[in-house]
Amino acid sequence: MLRKTPSLKRKSGTISAFSLFFLAFCGFFLVRPLAAQDNYEIQVYGSDTVAPKTTMLELHSNFTVDGSKPLPGSKYAADGTYPTNHALHETVEITQGLTSWSEVGFYIFTSSRSGQGVQWVGDHIRPRVRVPDSWHWPVGVSLSTEVGYQRRDFSTDTWTWEIRPIIDKQIGRWYFALNPALERSFHGQSVSHGVEFSPNAKISYDFTKVITGGFEYYASYGRLGDFDDLHNQQQQFFPAIDLNVSPNWEINFGVGIGPTSSTDHLIVKAIIGRRFDWSGHHEHGSSLSTQ
Amino acid sequence: MNRRDFLAGCNAFATASILRSPIEAFAQEPPADVSLTIAPLELEIAPGKTIHTVAYNGSVPGPLIRWPLGKPITIDVLNQTSDPEIVHWHGLWIPSNMDGAMEEGSPMIPPQGRQRYSFTPNPAGFRWYHTHTYAGHNLKKATYTGQFGCFYIEPKEDAGNYDQEIFLTLHDWNAYMGGGGDASMDVSYDYATINGKMLGAGEPIRVKEGQRVLFHVLNASATLTHWLACSGHTMQVVAMDGNPVPIQKRVEAIRLAPAERIDVTVEMKRPGVWILGETRDELRKAGMGIVIEYAGEQGEPHWAAPPESQWDYSQFARPGKSTDPDVRIPLVFRSKFTGHGDFDHWMINGKSFPKTDTIALQQGKRHRLVMRNESTDDHPVHLHRHTFEVTNLDGVAISGLMKDVLVVKAKSTAEVDFIASNPGMTLFHCHQQSHMDFGFMMLFRYA
Repeated sequence: MLRKTPSLKRKSGTISAFSLFFLAFCGFFLVRPLAAQDNYEIQVYGSDTVAPKTTMLELHSNFTVDGSKPLPGSKYAADGTYPTNHALHETVEITQGLTSWSEVGFYIFTSSRSGQGVQWVGDHIRPRVRVPDSWHWPVGVSLSTEVGYQRRDFSTDTWTWEIRPIIDKQIGRWYFALNPALERSFHGQSVSHGVEFSPNAKISYDFTKVITGGFEYYASYGRLGDFDDLHNQQQQFFPAIDLNVSPNWEINFGVGIGPTSSTDHLIVKAIIGRRFDWSGHHEHGSSLSTQ
Repeated sequence: MNRRDFLAGCNAFATASILRSPIEAFAQEPPADVSLTIAPLELEIAPGKTIHTVAYNGSVPGPLIRWPLGKPITIDVLNQTSDPEIVHWHGLWIPSNMDGAMEEGSPMIPPQGRQRYSFTPNPAGFRWYHTHTYAGHNLKKATYTGQFGCFYIEPKEDAGNYDQEIFLTLHDWNAYMGGGGDASMDVSYDYATINGKMLGAGEPIRVKEGQRVLFHVLNASATLTHWLACSGHTMQVVAMDGNPVPIQKRVEAIRLAPAERIDVTVEMKRPGVWILGETRDELRKAGMGIVIEYAGEQGEPHWAAPPESQWDYSQFARPGKSTDPDVRIPLVFRSKFTGHGDFDHWMINGKSFPKTDTIALQQGKRHRLVMRNESTDDHPVHLHRHTFEVTNLDGVAISGLMKDVLVVKAKSTAEVDFIASNPGMTLFHCHQQSHMDFGFMMLFRYA
């Protein structure tokens, strides 16, 4: 997941000395250097992987209703990145199933905001493996790792890495998922901070076969062993709905509320995904069964 | 009450009324023609791969019962497991109390108990026998086990023109709940076998060039439909569910839903070492295949994928409508969602077994089951103790195709006719174990 996190970078010729001082102050003392919650791909991962010979194409659309704002006289927010307020972030995610227990995902992040047009933000690649079904574990478990680049204008850290254990379980109508992710910056403001802890979680209930309602939680607590105080942690709560209209489609909507100061306060998110099966046959036992 | 509760009540009665010492019972009666012992088995499906299951006479499949048409048979079944058991004689026109379905009134065989089945096998053709118990969420029971075998009733006339006759039984092993195609849970498996062995682990089928080989193929999987092709060869479909088809057809691959049987002949005219197996790579890799080896040929078995095709029963039936029925019985199949983490429950005409209506049949009359499948799953429906004629598929009238299992595709209609000629309680159900256990079952009674 691409973090929205800001860091500070001197921009030539456009920012006053006072502004530079102010931005540096904010960046050092107020803005969490490596915030984990992104607003490019807002999704709690399930343990399942995309089937082999199958491609999943997803579009993540996130609009920040109430986010970071530019400093007076500047087009940048306090952390030196573009403000997120009223920004529309569109992310294209392409995931290819490799085996029955592995996949690789590729992300293209974009941002558009009034006066800025559509801008490329960065790209990530995300291989993932899971515990095969044949191991018959009582819970679904997979491990995702993600590495990528994002432009300095949109993130205080340009090269980042994440490892994300994923544990989930479906019991009747209830679904539980936990993603205790660890993140690290390789280039940017947070390099010296080491590994940070960014857990995500989801609980949902199948109201009908089509409609699942739930609650998603995204957070970044700060560096391992030395969490930020609550004020500077990122915390977001998303009431969300999944629409299970077809096995080939994935649809998710949510509205996120961020109560802490370093979190965007209100985000609307949508995910629309389409699965493409290149295997030449369909689900066993279905009416579409062919060889 | 569900099927489990229903069976539990019946089991208690059966245990109290039938339990007796096997030794004592055997001593009082003349020896049976066939004896089956139900017992746990460590089945080695491939080197290093052992399945803990339950089977008949220590083998998978159970022994082939080959018996002349019209000759009475007695079969003793000894249950050496810790659970009540029952054996269903699938496709035979026999009395309800011998049919081997507790719901019809056949007695369960208590643990360490035994049951003698006596009947006159009819009609001729490829039938089979299998357990007919409840599994529910326990995917190591009932038809998930190795309790199945072939039952061939020899016709009085010539059975056909062939040089070699081979029985093939398909089965899937190590079932677990996985994600289903319709987003509810479904059953997935680790391994698949033909005649109890994974591809390459058993003896090959040895043939000679120029031979015509008759294969009797049974899908004994608890829930999976299988596609089978014989690499490099086409297959002539001669019978379905043991009944000769009106129009024989040469096909590249055959599709068998759970409990379906297909008889095919194959002309052996491409010498080599071939794979007869599942057309889908992952299922063939899971083990569903068997090697065909021509005399004098050696080497690695070769797989040649057949071209893509759809399965259509109509190609084996006569076009046009059959005899009009005396009675029409509408049946609507629907699912009841219970969460993406569970099996769906099933309803016939809005009710799940045992709350389904028990519909009265009029003896001697021709009844038509007018089925509409409103669910998103296919259902291989089976009528006990009778054979039906497929008369309509999705609005297209056909005739002459006689079966006892028919796949009613998702969101489709199908009609079958049968003569009520075998009085007694008669069970009708989907043959997918996870469907019948969760409500897809009903009874007919004779008025």
